[in-house]
Amino acid sequence: MKDLISKKVIRIGVAAVLVALLAAVTVALSGGSAGFASMLSEPFFKPLKSALTSLVGSLEHVYDYMYRFDEMEAENAELKKRVAQLEQDYREYTEISEENGRLRSLLGFVERHEEMTLEPATVISWTASNFSSSFTASKGSDAGIALYDPVVDEYGNLVGQVTSVSGASCVVSTVIDTTLSLGAQMYENGEAGVAGGDFALMKEGNLKLSYISNTTNLVIGNTVITSGSGGVYPAGLVIGTVTGIAVGSSGLDPYAIVAPACRIDGLTHVYVITDFAVSE
Amino acid sequence: MARRKNGVLIKGLILAPYLILLYLLQSTVFTHLPLFGTKPLLLPVAAAGIAFFCGRVEGGVFGLFAGMLMDLSYNQLTVQFTLLMTFLGILIGLMSDTVLVQGFPSYLLSCALELALVSAYQVLSLWVLGNAPVPLSAAVGLRQTLYSLIFSLPLYYLSRFYFRVTRSGRNI
Repeated sequence: MKDLISKKVIRIGVAAVLVALLAAVTVALSGGSAGFASMLSEPFFKPLKSALTSLVGSLEHVYDYMYRFDEMEAENAELKKRVAQLEQDYREYTEISEENGRLRSLLGFVERHEEMTLEPATVISWTASNFSSSFTASKGSDAGIALYDPVVDEYGNLVGQVTSVSGASCVVSTVIDTTLSLGAQMYENGEAGVAGGDFALMKEGNLKLSYISNTTNLVIGNTVITSGSGGVYPAGLVIGTVTGIAVGSSGLDPYAIVAPACRIDGLTHVYVITDFAVSE
Repeated sequence: MARRKNGVLIKGLILAPYLILLYLLQSTVFTHLPLFGTKPLLLPVAAAGIAFFCGRVEGGVFGLFAGMLMDLSYNQLTVQFTLLMTFLGILIGLMSDTVLVQGFPSYLLSCALELALVSAYQVLSLWVLGNAPVPLSAAVGLRQTLYSLIFSLPLYYLSRFYFRVTRSGRNI
């Protein structure tokens, strides 16, 4: 036994424990925002990962072009039909848009969004984990990004939240990640609930809206937005659309299945909300 | 003494680019290539390979660094894989030094053991945190293990090549 557990083996074990302690101290000193391994490796890995992600993206485009030509041709024919339909829809849309513009002004959405400070960033890489949904974005505390800052896409749809940050990059957990939960409400009727990730739904790219007091207000197709309660997220950011209603294993806790409004798989650019006015 | 130091340096110079390449492949390329919604893990397979061929000391050291890169590729602050993969490197090295017969079947068994324990740890973590029902997360863990095992064949030849080049591991 003494021969098997040699001094070298013990030293390696001690080294691993020391690394763990060092990481714990670094995380504690950084206020839980970054580990020492990410701090040390970031200048080296960030450009490499950016270049590789870009290369993979280009290869995917070439692959799509080569192998999906027939599919794209059919899609093109379908799209021509849809253009005709959309032209019709556009005429109707103009009327609705005018009405919507008035409603938006009434609700003060535009004014509130003007007070937001947005920091653009690009997606460097996605987590390799099959048990979570997060990505690394190209900007960090040097650009004014802080822990728990909300992140949106170019349309203002909620993408997620900054869950760790270092100088030049940050990690964003998406709305479908199981660790994320936030105050939400239905845009149509104001029914409040808690939106958050669920492991089973995460694998399908969805999240759930639970703790709903009046389940009769759950309607498929309704829009779920942030409630702004707690002051972490601005009110009114679109989280997604209700696509289904289900009941938990106890049979007493109905919840809504929500499809995120942002296209999580296709994210390349995101915007971190570094500052916003808290609505009372 | 100087010769021994040179040997360590050469091993480091070979293993460092190998580790970095696998880390980059795992965290950038294979995140775009999921199979049945599951992404593969390359670093645990490589760590099992080095531990199997080179023994507990190199297995432990390689596991330590591979674990650190696993934590980085998982975007997490904690160092759970640093500790887990160091331990698994020592364990597989120890098994290789004592009970396992050198050959591909034993190597495959070592890779399967490492991947299964990594997946089991992830399933257990989620269960403790109450974030996922065990059957669902175990199914993901199983798919992750099976998909990752595909890479054990190319990494077998690379690990064996490294062992033959350095002629190391059994002089503890």
